[in-house]
Amino acid sequence: MNRVAVQCIKELRQFVRDRLSVALAFGLPALSMLLYGFATRLEIKNIPLVVQNLDNSALSRSFIERLYTNEQFVPVRCPGGDLVKTVLNRGIAEAVVIIPPEFARKLRAGLPSPVEALIDGTDVNNARVIKNSIIATTNSFLDIEGLSPFRPLIHPQVRLWFNPGRKESLFVVPGAFGIVLLIYPALLCALAMARETEQGTILQIYASSLTASEFILGKVAAYVIVGIAETLLVLLIGFVVFHLSVAGDALLFTLGTLLYLIDACLYGLMIAVGAKTQNAAVQAVAFGGFTPALLLSGYLYPVRNIRYPFNLVADFVPARYYIELSRDTFVRGAGWAGQWFVPVFLTLVGLLLFRIARKRLGRMQISA
Amino acid sequence: MPPVETVVQQAPDTDGPVISVRGLRKRYRDLEAVRGLDFDIRRGEIFGLIGPDGAGKTTIFHILGGVMEPTAGQVAVVGRKPADARSEIGYLTQQFSLNLDLSVDENLSYTAGLRRVPEPMVSERRRRYLKLMGLDAFGSRLAGQLSGGMKQKLALCCALMSRPQVLLLDEPTTGVDPVSRREFWDVLAGIAHEGMTIAVATPYLDEAERCDRVALVHEGAIRQIGTPVELRERLGLHRLEVRTSDLGRLEQALAPGGSVESAEIADVQPFGDRLDVLVADSERGERYLQSIAASAGIGALRIDRDEPTLENVFVLNLRKEGLGTTAYKPFAFSGPALGPSRKTSAIAASKLSKQFGEFQAVKGVSLQIGYGEIYGLLGANGAGKTTTIKMICGLLQPSSGEMMLAGETQRMRSPALRQRIGYMSQKFTLYDDLTILQNLEFYCGVYQVPMGLRKERINWVLSTCQLVGREGMITGLLPGGWKQRLSFGASVMHEPEILFLDEPTSGVDPIARRQLWNMIRDFARHGTAILVTTHFLEEAENCHRLGLMAAGELVAQGSPSEIKKAQPGQLIVLVTSDTQRSSDLLKTKLESWRVAIFADKLHVVLDEPERQLPALVSLLSENGIQVRSQMAGSFSLEDAFIGLVQRRGGVQS
Repeated sequence: MNRVAVQCIKELRQFVRDRLSVALAFGLPALSMLLYGFATRLEIKNIPLVVQNLDNSALSRSFIERLYTNEQFVPVRCPGGDLVKTVLNRGIAEAVVIIPPEFARKLRAGLPSPVEALIDGTDVNNARVIKNSIIATTNSFLDIEGLSPFRPLIHPQVRLWFNPGRKESLFVVPGAFGIVLLIYPALLCALAMARETEQGTILQIYASSLTASEFILGKVAAYVIVGIAETLLVLLIGFVVFHLSVAGDALLFTLGTLLYLIDACLYGLMIAVGAKTQNAAVQAVAFGGFTPALLLSGYLYPVRNIRYPFNLVADFVPARYYIELSRDTFVRGAGWAGQWFVPVFLTLVGLLLFRIARKRLGRMQISA
Repeated sequence: MPPVETVVQQAPDTDGPVISVRGLRKRYRDLEAVRGLDFDIRRGEIFGLIGPDGAGKTTIFHILGGVMEPTAGQVAVVGRKPADARSEIGYLTQQFSLNLDLSVDENLSYTAGLRRVPEPMVSERRRRYLKLMGLDAFGSRLAGQLSGGMKQKLALCCALMSRPQVLLLDEPTTGVDPVSRREFWDVLAGIAHEGMTIAVATPYLDEAERCDRVALVHEGAIRQIGTPVELRERLGLHRLEVRTSDLGRLEQALAPGGSVESAEIADVQPFGDRLDVLVADSERGERYLQSIAASAGIGALRIDRDEPTLENVFVLNLRKEGLGTTAYKPFAFSGPALGPSRKTSAIAASKLSKQFGEFQAVKGVSLQIGYGEIYGLLGANGAGKTTTIKMICGLLQPSSGEMMLAGETQRMRSPALRQRIGYMSQKFTLYDDLTILQNLEFYCGVYQVPMGLRKERINWVLSTCQLVGREGMITGLLPGGWKQRLSFGASVMHEPEILFLDEPTSGVDPIARRQLWNMIRDFARHGTAILVTTHFLEEAENCHRLGLMAAGELVAQGSPSEIKKAQPGQLIVLVTSDTQRSSDLLKTKLESWRVAIFADKLHVVLDEPERQLPALVSLLSENGIQVRSQMAGSFSLEDAFIGLVQRRGGVQS
């Protein structure tokens, strides 16, 4: 029998034998999908806002009403006293809007009236959203009340493509595929490799004249098979729980996923070749695989936001390309025309990882 | 054991050596592990490599197995470079070479696949080798759930699947019980007879007796090479087994620096109930010993003459290299000697039993151990030793029976009582990731050694272990023998009254073993009661009294000599014209444990030799085998043990 197949069958037998590893191999990805899908919320809603109305006119009350109309802000009870100190310092609200006295009278007279907005800038992103939202509300208030001193000549008509309902799960879940399908196959493969070293069975493999390539391919094949099963599971969760549907090219996605799983397993194996214990292998994979996949892949924020020199690193993170492909498949739907480079890149990465792993295994001998 | 069909296809070059090594060197970063080796191994030979820990044996095996490059020198296995000859080599590494989470069958299929054994031959060989090793009933059992002996037999099966010409076995019987050990070697003798070439490393010198040739390796070089007989003859000494009622006084009189110094005596080794004295001339030696006994006021000695053991060869040769010659620094006891004068027993157990669900692990064990006594509890894995010890220590509540420990019958785990007890376990005494000094300081603290004594005690341990100046070293880096001595030191710094030693010399070379036993005897002389568990029978000879356990029961008790004497039967050593065929024939008439091949000799245990032997000899000659010599041999403790266990229906697996 082909020795790659022999090695692969042995790996699968060991994998299936250990009930705990099987449970983890499928339980953890499923759990991660649910966690990422439900817990990651990028849209900012329900911001506590305090309004101090020193004018107490119909117009100022209508302005306040407008601030709270969409779900962006929620009113909180103001304890009184120095607003900045009590409200912002204690975190009762994240923004305070103060409407000055004479607000309505000045506006009716065509005079400008400043409205003061104090925003908690601890969370920069949050602060920017609040600021834009208050400005936008103010502008639309002026429009509606007919208080605008001039009529805008340009009126943008905005339409959201691909995700008209701005469903966040459409952004988060395809991205999460890229994280889950990297980490778990890589971990399993790394553990299997480190176990051989830890238990000394690697010596039997050295003594058997199995080549490094056969050894790598056998191990990777086994965990790619496990990875395919994991893929089916997380896709099922995506379709059923998060209502994804295929917008792009399913064939391209299948090809890309297969290559991505191979890269993940090769990566785990390559890392674990040098590890003396399974524990060390887990840590190496977690740091070297998980962290870049989470931070440098565009999963949470666009890659172009990443600064030099880390943006250079990001260019080589396979998760970045796979997430792009995944989002295209489930949201955008451009297919081959837009994503042809993903399989090409993943193949190149795979070849590189294979070469490194083979080099690290050396001549299938004890290195002294 | 059923006879083996032809195992090895004859290679074209049958005349030259199968393994040839010239000028072999291996250098690690700052250590030269192998320093110029030259040797040949012939076809069908069992070649033994013996040597202390760190002698370079494993490195030699790695190179022969083609998994490591030598730094210099030529190595040829079946005429090729080892890496190119890997398909002709079966290699059992020191760590278990099996995938423990695969079943017996799956392990075999995996190895067969790796080594490209054609499919139809796999099932045939699997059937044959599993039967040969007595594993045929366990095909679907996980390798991890086999006993140590069965694991090693399975590993051997795996190595044989591709029918290699050469077998490399690196300490294959460490952690294997005596019965399985003997069966393992019977299998080796059988396949060597079929033409398999076997190189084996072992720390057990009784196993080295079963090799055709032996190389004594020390510091990466071969010091002695030859057949066991040649090595003994080269030593030029005779061994006298000396027994007397007052062994202690005789030992003192003979001790170096004692009242007598003589060129007559090459070595004195104390055992539990005898002294082994090596002399150049038996006649003069005996006279000399009797005269010393007379002048020391000891009655006449009982002296038996025998040939030196391979262990004697090993120790005396290495002593020439300056190993193991450092004078032993006695422990400075702060308390008064407890002495055997104390009337009460240190440990007394009466009808201890332990039931685990349906399974009765220990059945009615009674034993007494006095102060100053070294008591050995022997038995194969699963015989109930560990359970018994746990009950005696108070770690496990007996199902029935009574216990007394250091005069206490209740509250066996009270801190005050534990303070008077020392415990050294096989593996877990020291923290590998602490330095030597940190470990010793930790144990001083745990056992509350008085502040004023700590420095002195730690220095004592360091100097007896020859580790002065290296106390900052990480403990995990020490070789096995040193670690064992260090753990012993750590467990006795608080001068315990009772000492439990669990397999204290497992995997330790003979030199370190002797040093450790010197320390143990010193504590016994001071009055410490010592309970040793072991399944290594050579070790048991060091005990004053022994208890043999089998299937949860104490089946024999007494001094080593008493136990040997109590066994019915006699050991007959036969030399015949065809050892293997003789063994096969005799096994058709006798139970297989009664027949064992020791290199070119056969050991046969007969209950009634006068009646049985003539019939057996004629059986051999009827089959065209010439019996060249037959003589009575001395029963080893292992022979006695195996006989006892087998008569009671074998060991449980």
